[in-house]
Amino acid sequence: MPTLETEVLVVGGGSTGAGVARDAALRGFSTVLVERGDLAAGTTGRFHGLLHSGGRYAVKDPVAARECVVENPILRRTAADCIEDTGGLFVSTQWDDPGFGDDFLRGCQATGVPVEEVPVAQALRQEPRLDRGIARAFAVPDANLDPWKLVWGCARSAKEHGAQILTYHRLLGLELDDGKVVGARVHDELNGDELEIRSQVVVNAAGAWSGQIASLAGCEVTVLPGKGIMIAMNHRLVNTVVNRCKPPSDGDIIVPIRTVSVIGTTDTRVADPDELEVTPAEIEEMFDEGEKLVPGFRNARALRVWAGARPLFAGEQVSDTRDVSRTHTVLDHAKRDGVDGFITITGGKTTTFRLMAEHAVDAVCAKLGVDRQCTTQEEPLPGSEEKRFYWLGSRVRTQEPVPGEHEIICECELVTRERLLAGVAHRHPSSLDDVRRTVRLGMGPCQGGFCIYRATGILHSFEHLDRRAANTALLDFLEERWKGVHPVLHGAQLRQARLDEWIFQGLLTVQHLPE
Amino acid sequence: MTELARDSLDGCVKCTICESFCPYAAATPLFPGPKYVGPQAERFRRTGVSPDFSVDYCSGCGICTQVCPQGVKIAEINSQARAQLWEERGIPLRNQLIARPGLVGRFGTPVAPLANWTLQNQALRRLGERLLGIHRDAALPRFAGRTFQRWARNHVSPAAERTVIYFHNCGTNYYEPAVGRMTVEVLEHNGFHVVVPPQGCCGLPLQSNGNFPAARAYVRRLAANLAPYAREGSAIVANSTSCGLMLKHEAREILEVEDDDLTVVSESMYDLCEFLLLLHEQGQLRTDFQQLDLTIPYHAPCQQQGHGIGKPALDLFALIPGVRAIELDADCCGIAGTYGFKKEKYEISMTVGERLFRELRESSGDLAACDSETCRWQIEHGAGIHAVHPVEVLHRAYGLGSE
Amino acid sequence: MTDVARFASYDTVVIGAGLAGLTAALRLAEEGQRVAVLAKGVGATHLSPGTVDVLGYVDGPVDSPAKALPDFAAANPDHPYRRLPVELIGASLDWFKARLGDHGYRGGLDENFLVPTAVGVAKPTALVPETMAAGDLRGGGRFVFIGLRGLKDFYPAYLAENLARASLPGEADILTRVVELEPPLGNARDVSGLGFARRFEEAGFRESVLVELDRYLVPGEIVGFPAVLGVGRAREVWNELETRLGHQVFEVPTLPPSVQGLRLYETMTTALRRHGCRLVVGNTVVGTKTSGSRLEGVLAKTAGRPLTYRARSFVLATGGFASGGLQLDSSGQIRETVFDLPVAGVPGSKQRPFEEGYFADHAISRAGVTVDESMRPVDGKGGTPYENVHAVGATLGGAVPWREASGNGLSLASGYAAASAILRET
Repeated sequence: MPTLETEVLVVGGGSTGAGVARDAALRGFSTVLVERGDLAAGTTGRFHGLLHSGGRYAVKDPVAARECVVENPILRRTAADCIEDTGGLFVSTQWDDPGFGDDFLRGCQATGVPVEEVPVAQALRQEPRLDRGIARAFAVPDANLDPWKLVWGCARSAKEHGAQILTYHRLLGLELDDGKVVGARVHDELNGDELEIRSQVVVNAAGAWSGQIASLAGCEVTVLPGKGIMIAMNHRLVNTVVNRCKPPSDGDIIVPIRTVSVIGTTDTRVADPDELEVTPAEIEEMFDEGEKLVPGFRNARALRVWAGARPLFAGEQVSDTRDVSRTHTVLDHAKRDGVDGFITITGGKTTTFRLMAEHAVDAVCAKLGVDRQCTTQEEPLPGSEEKRFYWLGSRVRTQEPVPGEHEIICECELVTRERLLAGVAHRHPSSLDDVRRTVRLGMGPCQGGFCIYRATGILHSFEHLDRRAANTALLDFLEERWKGVHPVLHGAQLRQARLDEWIFQGLLTVQHLPE
Repeated sequence: MTELARDSLDGCVKCTICESFCPYAAATPLFPGPKYVGPQAERFRRTGVSPDFSVDYCSGCGICTQVCPQGVKIAEINSQARAQLWEERGIPLRNQLIARPGLVGRFGTPVAPLANWTLQNQALRRLGERLLGIHRDAALPRFAGRTFQRWARNHVSPAAERTVIYFHNCGTNYYEPAVGRMTVEVLEHNGFHVVVPPQGCCGLPLQSNGNFPAARAYVRRLAANLAPYAREGSAIVANSTSCGLMLKHEAREILEVEDDDLTVVSESMYDLCEFLLLLHEQGQLRTDFQQLDLTIPYHAPCQQQGHGIGKPALDLFALIPGVRAIELDADCCGIAGTYGFKKEKYEISMTVGERLFRELRESSGDLAACDSETCRWQIEHGAGIHAVHPVEVLHRAYGLGSE
Repeated sequence: MTDVARFASYDTVVIGAGLAGLTAALRLAEEGQRVAVLAKGVGATHLSPGTVDVLGYVDGPVDSPAKALPDFAAANPDHPYRRLPVELIGASLDWFKARLGDHGYRGGLDENFLVPTAVGVAKPTALVPETMAAGDLRGGGRFVFIGLRGLKDFYPAYLAENLARASLPGEADILTRVVELEPPLGNARDVSGLGFARRFEEAGFRESVLVELDRYLVPGEIVGFPAVLGVGRAREVWNELETRLGHQVFEVPTLPPSVQGLRLYETMTTALRRHGCRLVVGNTVVGTKTSGSRLEGVLAKTAGRPLTYRARSFVLATGGFASGGLQLDSSGQIRETVFDLPVAGVPGSKQRPFEEGYFADHAISRAGVTVDESMRPVDGKGGTPYENVHAVGATLGGAVPWREASGNGLSLASGYAAASAILRET
């Protein structure tokens, strides 16, 4: 079995893991990251994309709020290309107690969240679709964050500093020697080989799965997956992040991100982060809550629904996962469980990923007895050096002045052939679904109706994907996409789905593809 | 602010039907198509900086909205996006000028012979192209010299049981007053007292050129002029089908003007042929037509089809003995209001119109009929066949006087 | 009151301009009726290939619709084919072939063709236009598929590899290969299929393609192009290619806009205009005028006030969920959106409309309007809400056209049947 030697082995390719790998590599550690699937396939790729101002935590979770206050500007400085500066509003709707607005103001002021109460008329001018009956409005520096750009930026940066990023490598087990974790055995999911990695420190950054990983070293870490569903609406019903000004509850936020607006979310404790069922009741609830913020929400077109699992680390037993702090924890298992060479970083949220990584790598330094300073507060991610925020219109602008000069594969999201192939270059071409999520292929209203056939053909011709793999990629894509589409399928989206059915099953007849 | 047009983008299923029918996307690579600049690009727009210039190549013909099976208001979305674009860039002088036919008419009329000579002079037209960006060959009309309003002021409409209000538009007033006169005479022949109130431009060219604030001001002023008559219960007829559509529909859908005067005016607005055919359906149209042995190829302007009332002109022609009306297949003449006047769009406009011109030439018609004046000028320019408003045929058939 | 009826009312008003609506309208107009077609947009002809599928799959590919239909109809009592006798379906196909003479349609009910889809499946279909006939796989052969650089809607290599593994009846043996051409597109790199079709109507472009392709062809090969061989002059273009190359040539339909469907629409609407039919595109029907169980008129939404179209008979050809003829709202209610006709096959409140698996048989797929032999909607209690309304095409329930491969055939036959029923009444 081939062996890899490294100082730091990071388990988990979400924002935490990628952040740790980057920070470690920047500090000069030899670093390997293993992730069972594609980067950001877990919680990081399934949240609503909010870059917190801290306002959502200002009243109930001041520690988390303060972290956001510090990290928000740091990310704006270092990851500008991943961020669209939408701004945020907290609004008291006619169903909310306007008095809570005072609690909110106090909470923000106490935690340092920049906040300003704005006249309702101004808020309505800014967001004309909001319910006219709102009583109060507060402006905060919320923004949206593209998790794939973020994670891939970290991975690129890490690689530039010598790290190895091994996606599609599933952890089979951790190797212990005399009470110390000395490495891991991983399985290459794509070619079936096994690989042994020898490490000095393993950093468990597996998020909602970190409990499972910790148990491979015989350590008990209770992570409660807190399931939250989100629905993507076809177009931006709002251009600012809109929050309900009330104690946290289901469906109290709408985030405009890229070309869609996302409403979320719920919070239900589940047993398994890989089993995230979306129920009709939850969907109804999202529509009801959306309607309160934006009248007519229910009649707007819903594209798809999905669920993510928050990694909630419970120090003690709690019943409602909303009561668990959203701050993070670094666990040194030597002190805690008598298992050396092993650190878990858990809890947290993507907005504070950099801080989580900093703390985790500080713990690595302590373990290895070295003193190396973190530079990620200032060092920009590759692609964000010019400190320019992402602009919604950029994909349209790059096609100008003569749009016919680039071959556009996914028209809804303006994914060109070049961008598609670049997206494929980083990952195995058979995982069309992973490509979908990163370049946004088929994420628009037609949900792949036109572009999936094109992408399959391109991968077959130009990436030398063989016939069977191409067929599988196409069929898998349709099944994956359907999972998110059918629970919210009605109205205009059903008309779309029917057209797609005509194309795939009527015109192309993919259901009869040969083996 | 309502977002009616933008919200309709939720209906888009990317079927490409609009693109298949768009005559301008077929004619030029500079226009990527109505789906592209409409419901597709709209998801990438927010106010601030317009990401795309190519939307300016949309002509506003409205065929896309007509053919969309999902009710997406594509042309309206495009129109609003264009207005946003030009608001950011500032509207060039040329567009300001050609968007104000009333203004141009007012200044050109007193010096009509000179103005007309200028417009015919090749050298001056070339200069005009360089300085102003109006193509040297663009199908510009001639100033009539005496406006329709002047004729109307000196005309006494006989008293009658029923009254109708005439909205004549700038084209009739400054360039084709004879069409206005014939309209009045046809209406009077059918027993109407015709009132021509003071009126100005409806603002449609301002809208098409992206100047929404000025367009709104114009349309509000016009609505205020016409509303008192509409409130008395009289119908308002428009011989220029595009201007009629502006008041019926576009001012509310595209400009999003919410105004009581406009509401009552648009509810009382009729396209002239629509009105005459309705009279006929009620048994009140005089059918004392003389025999006219004419073959008349009929082109329904895009804006006429935007009314959604079918092609009443054809049904009217069917009443006139000896008239053989041919419904042409081609959809757009290419002029699209002021689009075809522009230097950078003239060639596109002529390419778009080519199918229609060919059909007209092959139809061996005696004269063409078309409800929009700019389309008539384009048809005469591109196909070399004389073009009239359908009312002129009726006028002749009634024997109301020579042309 | 002379001539008022002539203009105020029609013999038949057809709502919807897809294949079903156009068929009904044209058949009636040919027989001298005054027909108006009101459509809220252009129909699904632009989205479908030009083939007519009557019955392609019933637990596997169907060789002969004539043989399979009776059993199929018997086994599926709710399917519209139960109301459409085989003779009538055959008559509608014959009518279609005759009316679209310029398209040179071949085929019938006796034997399905097997033609390649754009991903290389051998698909059964009953009628093919002349430009597709040489693609018939049943006799085997050596096929070469042509890629055109810049056309992102056709991937011949993928098609060819899948097709080589298609299971064909009898001893049929096929070999497939690919030739990629670089036609002169100038600076454009993103040209739609329709853009290519328009270019194929230019002699210079065709010449370029012919010269390049000629070098690569091997004698006896059958040449498969994407379906972009011209728009209105497709026959001319196709003929020229066959003649110049000395090979059989055929088209493979690909993603919308369907150039073949466009040709179909143009031919049928031109024919309607020649018969004096009034076609209004862009009108949604927003109301009705009834008198007891007779529909007297429909109100069409215009830019201004609604316009009433009166007629003796009405044909509802508004399509299914895809076009909004049927609608499912967020609370699970299904409606027929013009006349609120009773809809059958609605999943019960405890049933999920959609299954987990994409390719599963979804409960909602068969929802739609049920009709009698005259295509009159029935209300499940043995009655009919309107005596003079006929429903056709994808509005009808009981069928899953994209799985059965029955879409155009159903539209054609039902539109034809409705016209027949109306003609019988007058």
